[in-house]
Formats: sequence, structure tokens, C-alpha cells
Amino acid sequence: MSKITFTNIGQSYDKSPDQDTWALKPISMTLDSGKSYALVGPSGCGKTTILNIISGIVTPFQGSVAFDDVDITKLPTAKRNVALVFQFPTIYKSMTVEENLAFPLVCRKWEAAKIKSRVGEIAEQIGISHKLNRSANKLGADEKQLISLGRGLVRDDVTALLMDEPLTVIDPQLKFELRKKIKQIIAGKDITVVYVTHDQYEAMTFADELLVMSLGKLVQRGTPEDLFERPNSKYVGNFIGSPAMNFFKAEVVDGLAKIGGYTLSSSADLKQVADPYLEFGIRPEHIEVHHGSGDNVVTADFFSHDDLGSTRILNCRFGTGVIKVKVARSFEVPNHGPINLKLPKSNLLAYREGLQVL
Amino acid sequence: MTSKFYKRLFLLPGLLLLIAIIIFPLLFTIRVSMANWNVSHSGLDWAGGANWARMFHDVNFWSSLFRLFYFSFITTTLQYILGFTAAMYAWKGFASRRFFRVLWLVPLMTTPSVMAIVWRSIFREDIGAANGLLSKIGIDPIAWSTQIFPATVTITIAEVWQWTPFMFLILLAGLLSLPKEQFLSAEIDGATPWRTFWSITFPLMAPISIGAIIIRLIEASKIFDSIFNLTSAGPGNSTETPAYYLYTRGLREFQISYGATMGLMYLILAILTLTILGQIFARVSKPRGI
Repeated sequence: MSKITFTNIGQSYDKSPDQDTWALKPISMTLDSGKSYALVGPSGCGKTTILNIISGIVTPFQGSVAFDDVDITKLPTAKRNVALVFQFPTIYKSMTVEENLAFPLVCRKWEAAKIKSRVGEIAEQIGISHKLNRSANKLGADEKQLISLGRGLVRDDVTALLMDEPLTVIDPQLKFELRKKIKQIIAGKDITVVYVTHDQYEAMTFADELLVMSLGKLVQRGTPEDLFERPNSKYVGNFIGSPAMNFFKAEVVDGLAKIGGYTLSSSADLKQVADPYLEFGIRPEHIEVHHGSGDNVVTADFFSHDDLGSTRILNCRFGTGVIKVKVARSFEVPNHGPINLKLPKSNLLAYREGLQVL
Repeated sequence: MTSKFYKRLFLLPGLLLLIAIIIFPLLFTIRVSMANWNVSHSGLDWAGGANWARMFHDVNFWSSLFRLFYFSFITTTLQYILGFTAAMYAWKGFASRRFFRVLWLVPLMTTPSVMAIVWRSIFREDIGAANGLLSKIGIDPIAWSTQIFPATVTITIAEVWQWTPFMFLILLAGLLSLPKEQFLSAEIDGATPWRTFWSITFPLMAPISIGAIIIRLIEASKIFDSIFNLTSAGPGNSTETPAYYLYTRGLREFQISYGATMGLMYLILAILTLTILGQIFARVSKPRGI
């Protein structure tokens, strides 16, 4: 376990002086020891660059990275005591499962008996004890990925476990199982985990904290709840949650949002804001179908719905756009036409130029 | 007209070509080996197994075969070791990779017989460069072409020089195609470069190595031009290989039928040897575990 500190780390692969083109814009942050973090964002947002800087595969263009306050910026990967799980399972094809798991210990010249018991222990944890003498190459992708993980955990000196989209090549039905398993395996250990993914579900179910990235910048960092309930930008509102957050433009008059003849109050202190034209966002999960009128209740035009299995999405026209409402399956779908929706004040967030107004 | 007819019709050109270039010559050779076709007597008469019986008692043929085993085994092994070492260097980027690669291909681009003549001049006993260099460090001149062991060494050196680049090229291509993550993982697992080579690189290269070795063995078993130009099978017939012996009997002395017999025997042995070797290689390189 180890605390990971980034000090003004920036990365430019072509060493350009123009920071706007950098793969990772300068960032300073601390990842606490023993917690698990997920780096999420679309392809090319810099999440793998961060992981590679932690692992030492990439030496940053500027800044320094430290493990437990010891600067390791120039240290090669092998000396950092990190465990890496790649997108594609990395197993030693010519060896058996047992030999694969034992390899790091053999390299560290452990005694045979000690290796055997340690490998047995790890095999038990990753649930592969019954396949120890199988050829590693003949296993399925999910089991190979577990071996990659096991090979990282078998060492007792691992400071951080770094995973780069480890579930990408796993079949969808196995993905869920494997994710659960990896989480279980890690739960018992006091180890700092950094997990890169572009899948928000994976990130939210896996990590204690999420780091949402976009265009080489860290946009928001927080628990899954923080990101869901209080996205600090339209970007996070759109990226986290499915369907994405609803956004609509409104004019602010006397601290209240005016839209389509309705006056809505928001969680933000709008009296401080000079700009009268703002955007408001609300999660589809937070909107209630309401009978009758009341505070923050609007009438929208319900025109279609999508069935997502356990939930349904009602698509309604409101103002100049569409507002989506997530309801339970048990909710009886009304006839198309006017529908009353309550947009609770505490969940109605205000945004100006893409950023949240508090 | 059924579709079966068309299928066969379209296969016909390929089949005819196969018959013309492989099956007919093979069958014809078998027939020739059972005739008395030689310099004074041409035509396909019937000699039964006379040529075959003669071959089984021909000490020169069998000793040339054993010599061939030596030559192909030693030269291919040396080529593999040197080629692999050079490929590892080029792969790791110790030397300027592109320069190194081109340099290593020079021997492959030269004509073997031309190079054999160059080697012959190097190994000339009187004015050759090899003896000149040896005398500079105080070693007596070696009779490169008139003693059996030095003559064998001469051919081995020429062959290794000529064909190591082939191994280098194939093995480097193989190394460049290996997944980088494996090596990064090994590094993280704490493997030394030596262990990484034996536990990861070498096993991963097994299929490519086997392919390269088999191709080289097939080529090496046909060794002719370097022997022809360097030693002419001498001294005596101490560096004679089946290809050279076949050439002497079949084309110089025009013992067509006897040459055909030896050619067939050589083919049978080559197929058998390579099949057995292939099996051994496959078994040795099989990943461990069930």
C-alpha cells in the first residue's frame, strides 16, 4: 500500500510547448493509501497516460510523482513494486498456472516450500486452485486475467495495483462476475488500486473514488454518489449516469429560473449570478411524475417511452427540448399527452458555461 | 452437367500442373532407378533392384550421408545460435537497428558460388588471408584444403557466414512480433534478463525457431555450391555430401539410373528425418501443463 502523489505532472508526447495540445495537462493530486480509484473518460482523455506515469511506463514531460513522499519519477517500472494488469491478459504461455503464479517469487529467490504455500493461498483467493497444473495458455480470457492479477498479488511487497481496462476482452456475461471477483479479492487487502476504464458502471461499482477525465484534464473527483448527485460540470452530468442528465436553458429572474411560463427554484444561489441566462440540469432519476400542481411542478408533453427492463424512460417535450424521466417498471405508462413532472429543488442544479453554479 | 463435374473441371488445371512438375518426374525417377540408363546405354530397360542393391553396398554414398548429417547439424546449430544472438542485439536496439539489419543481409544477397571463391582465396594455403593472419599471431599455417578437419572447418565457416543472416532475419521478425506486455510483466515480476530470455523469449520464439531451423535444415541438406567451389569434395572425398556425390555419379559420369536411385533414397531419408525432427521439436516446445 502506498500513497501516490502527483506534483504538477504534465505529459506531452511530442514535447510541444503549447500546453493545450498536451495529452495530460499539468495536474497535482494525491491518491490515498489503501483506497481504490477509477480513472474514467472517453478514449484519448489521458487516463491511461496517468496510469502509465504511475507505473513508470511513461516518464512525465514535467512534474514529479511520489510513492509515500519518495520521489520515484525516474525509477523504472520494475523497481516501483507495482502490479500491472493489462487490457489483454498477460500470462506466460509456456508455463502452467502454478508456474505463472510462482514466477515473481521464483525471481525473488523464495524457498520452494514458501512459494508453494503462497501460490496455494493466492490460487485459493482467485478461485483457480483446481487448475494449478493446467497449461495457462489453455484457459479462458477471464481466468487468464485472474492469473495476471494473481501474479501481481502473490508478491507481498506490492505498493499499488494498476489495472488498464482489464475487462475489455472479457465476454459480457463473464464481465460482471469477474468484476465482482476482482473487487472481492482486493477488498481483503490494504492496497492502493488504480483502475482505468471507459465504462462508468465498471468504475462506479468498483472504486471508492472516481476521477473523471476529459481532454487531458481531471474534470471531477469524488465518490460515485458525489458524481451522480452533484456533477460539477455538464460534462460529468452527461458522462455519468444513464440516460445522461437532462439540461435545459432558462432565464433567471429574482433568483428563480423561468422557463416556458414556469418558475422553478434551484439548489443554487442564483441571486449572486449576474448572467441571467443559465442552464439547469436534473437527473432523470430525480424527476417525479406528479398529480396536480405544486412547487417546481411543470407540465410536459409525454410522447414516447423506452423499456430498459427494470426501469422505463419516459420521453417528454419540455420547453425547446426533451426531458427524460426514469420510472420504475411497476409504474403504469400513461397515455401520450400532457404529464405533470416535479423537478425537486434540491436536485435541480444550475450551470454556467458548462460549470456548476453553487 | 452436375456441379460435381464443374468442381472437378476447375480443379483440373491445378492437378495437371501438379502432375507435370511433381508426380510425373517422381514416377519417372522411380522407373529410371530400375533401369540401366548410363553413358553408353540410354533408355528404359529393366534392371530390377540392381541399382538399389548397389547403393546399399556403396560405402561412399553412406559416408557422404553421415557427413551431411554433420554439416547440416553443425552449420544450422551455429547459424541458429549466432542468428538468434544477433537478432536479440538488433531487437534490443543496442546497435543502430536499421544499419545493423542491412549489414546483416549482405551475405544473403551475395551469390553462394561467388562467395565460395572469395572464401577459397581467403583460405589459400600459400597466399590466403587466413594463414596470413594466423602467422601474425604466431600460429603455423594450416593446410586448409589438404587436410580433412581444416577443410571441414572451411566449409562450415563459409556456410555459417552465408546463411546466418537468414536465421537473423526470420528470428528478428519473430522477436518484433512478440507482445511487449509479456516483457514488461516479466520485468515487474523481477526477472533478470537471463531468466526473461529462458523463461519467456525463448519459449515464445519456439514456433518461429522451429520453422527457421527446418527451412535451414532442408536447405543445408542440399549443400553443394560451397563444397564444389571450396574443396571439390576433397581432400579425397572427405567433404563429399550426397548432393555432390549424386552430381559426380549422375551428371559427370552419366550414371543416370544410379543417380536416380540415390536421389530417391535421399528423398526418403530427408522426409523421414524431418518428420521425426518435427515431432521431437513439437514435443519439446509444447507448453507445460495439461
